[in-house]
Amino acid sequence: MTLKTYVAQHGRQFGTLVGLLVLCAVMWILTPHFLTISNLLNIAEQTAIIAIIAAGMTFVILTAGIDLSVGSVLAFSGVVMASLLQKGAPVGVALAVGVLAGFGCGTINGLLISVGRLPPFIATLGMMSVARGGSLLFTEGRPISGFSESFRYLATGRVVGVPMPVLVMLTVFFTAWFVLTKTKLGRYTYAIGGNEEATILSGINVRLYKTLIYGICGGLAGLAAILLTARLNSAQPIAGMMYELDAIAATVIGGTSLMGGEGNVFGTLVGALIIGVLRNGLTLLNISSFAQQIIIGLVIIVAVLLDMTLKKGRR
Amino acid sequence: MKKLFVIILGMMLALIAACNRDQTASDGRPTVALVVKTLNNPFFNDMQKGAEEAARRLGVNLLVQAAEREVDVEKQMQIIENLIQSRVSALVITPSGSKEIVPAIVKANQAGIPVIILDTRVNEEALAAAGGKVAAFIGSDNQEGGRLAGELMVKALGGRGQVAILEGIPGHETGDSRMKGFRQAVSAAPDIQIVSSQTANWERDRGYNVFQNMLQAQPRIQGLFACSDLMALGAVEAIRAAGKTGSIVVIGFDAFSEAREAVRNGLMLATVAQFPSEMGRQGVESAALLLKGEQIQPEMTVRIELITRGNAEGSSQ
Repeated sequence: MTLKTYVAQHGRQFGTLVGLLVLCAVMWILTPHFLTISNLLNIAEQTAIIAIIAAGMTFVILTAGIDLSVGSVLAFSGVVMASLLQKGAPVGVALAVGVLAGFGCGTINGLLISVGRLPPFIATLGMMSVARGGSLLFTEGRPISGFSESFRYLATGRVVGVPMPVLVMLTVFFTAWFVLTKTKLGRYTYAIGGNEEATILSGINVRLYKTLIYGICGGLAGLAAILLTARLNSAQPIAGMMYELDAIAATVIGGTSLMGGEGNVFGTLVGALIIGVLRNGLTLLNISSFAQQIIIGLVIIVAVLLDMTLKKGRR
Repeated sequence: MKKLFVIILGMMLALIAACNRDQTASDGRPTVALVVKTLNNPFFNDMQKGAEEAARRLGVNLLVQAAEREVDVEKQMQIIENLIQSRVSALVITPSGSKEIVPAIVKANQAGIPVIILDTRVNEEALAAAGGKVAAFIGSDNQEGGRLAGELMVKALGGRGQVAILEGIPGHETGDSRMKGFRQAVSAAPDIQIVSSQTANWERDRGYNVFQNMLQAQPRIQGLFACSDLMALGAVEAIRAAGKTGSIVVIGFDAFSEAREAVRNGLMLATVAQFPSEMGRQGVESAALLLKGEQIQPEMTVRIELITRGNAEGSSQ
């Protein structure tokens, strides 16, 4: 495949990448503090948590679904893991339980949607409230804080200068890319989003795969919870509020269609970085948080407008 | 078409950034960054005003940033990291979380940027464990404020009756200290019972809902202490909706202009006044002193006072 045909096939994601580069260039011109290695690593580190959640969200949105519960599931996984750590459980066990707690919540979402036939919006809206309430009840509303250095290494550690959260993020995206492009699960994810009826008729166990996909989304929220807890040295029952919207925004800016069947995780990573660069750059420029919200909102609208215009042009 | 969008996007950003360009210009003056919990709360708006006034007077470049939501500790950490990247000379911070702020303080320490804390104390143990240090704390004695409110409550109820508390977010030092002071003062009166104590997340609408529920469960509540005026004002509306205006004693905390108005109108008995603009002013002044290489006090207390109908006429400062 020549580069030209590759670019033509993945035009939308390259558009997003061009957007990111233009954005970086603008920030570079406007502030001398933007284009330094330490700031770029800083942005990658800040983006990691939302990006990891958005990777899971991409799977779900590819099936034409949505997961509103990721922020609450993150909080729930975080407090469950933190309480184990505080009780002296080995770090490895606590981490596994944290991810499993997220995977469990996601699997329940998946069962409600695939077996229970609930619309994804409703099932995950319910889970959003249940998981939030669960984490508040579990902790009596108080944050759990103070962890060992070995646990905090997940946030503070660096390997050849690269912060651990960035390495985790890259691993997640590489794995997600591999699963989506090279495995049965990946092909079925696109197939379900493209035409669910046809996928069922061709004898694929859609219920199983849908449940698994929501489970993956929850599990990645659990993984994000680990990084967030290590970063703040505290697991808060109110953590992750509105993260679902950032994750959906990153996915949509990255070119994944809410109608399902179209998009990829590379775009999502770029989408998350666009949000990260905007937040970072706007703070460096001392633009108020109120104006920042307007700008980020406009970027989401422009990205989707662009998406629609491009599609119209192709037809 | 695609290019057009990208160009429009770029121009939009350039335009917005251009308007703000002068604020980050390095003209040799020291740059002090004030990071508050949120800017959609009059308390922090007042703090900002005090800081701006001091910055103008002292010729200091002042940047003011905050997360959209008061409880968003991670966003506050991002803002601080970004400010460290832009090499501010000093950071003046109102922590969104007493423990959660510690990693950000450590990062500032590593970058050699002095940190001054306003209003909400950092958890000492967590700070010591992480090896972080702050140059100074400037704030009111919240426990003393809670105690003043508690003593007034005992007096207003004649030493007997059922009382409710609207708490801040658990784990926030300010709310916890206010509640502690209030509980201490009230425990001196054995016939006063605290029948309900719940968080309303510092929010006005939550204050309304939570107190409405409390009234459903405990219809004989005669007194309410809210750890912030926003929650108190929400509760005042719930009391109005229940037709109980005037029969429940409400004491708030912060003394916003709207709460003072409520005190004047008899909707609230009192509110505890803090002086956030003074905190902002002292924060910037102390940062300026530090940057000149002078010593500052590690702990500065800002006055606190009870506002009742008698003295509610004064200005909000």
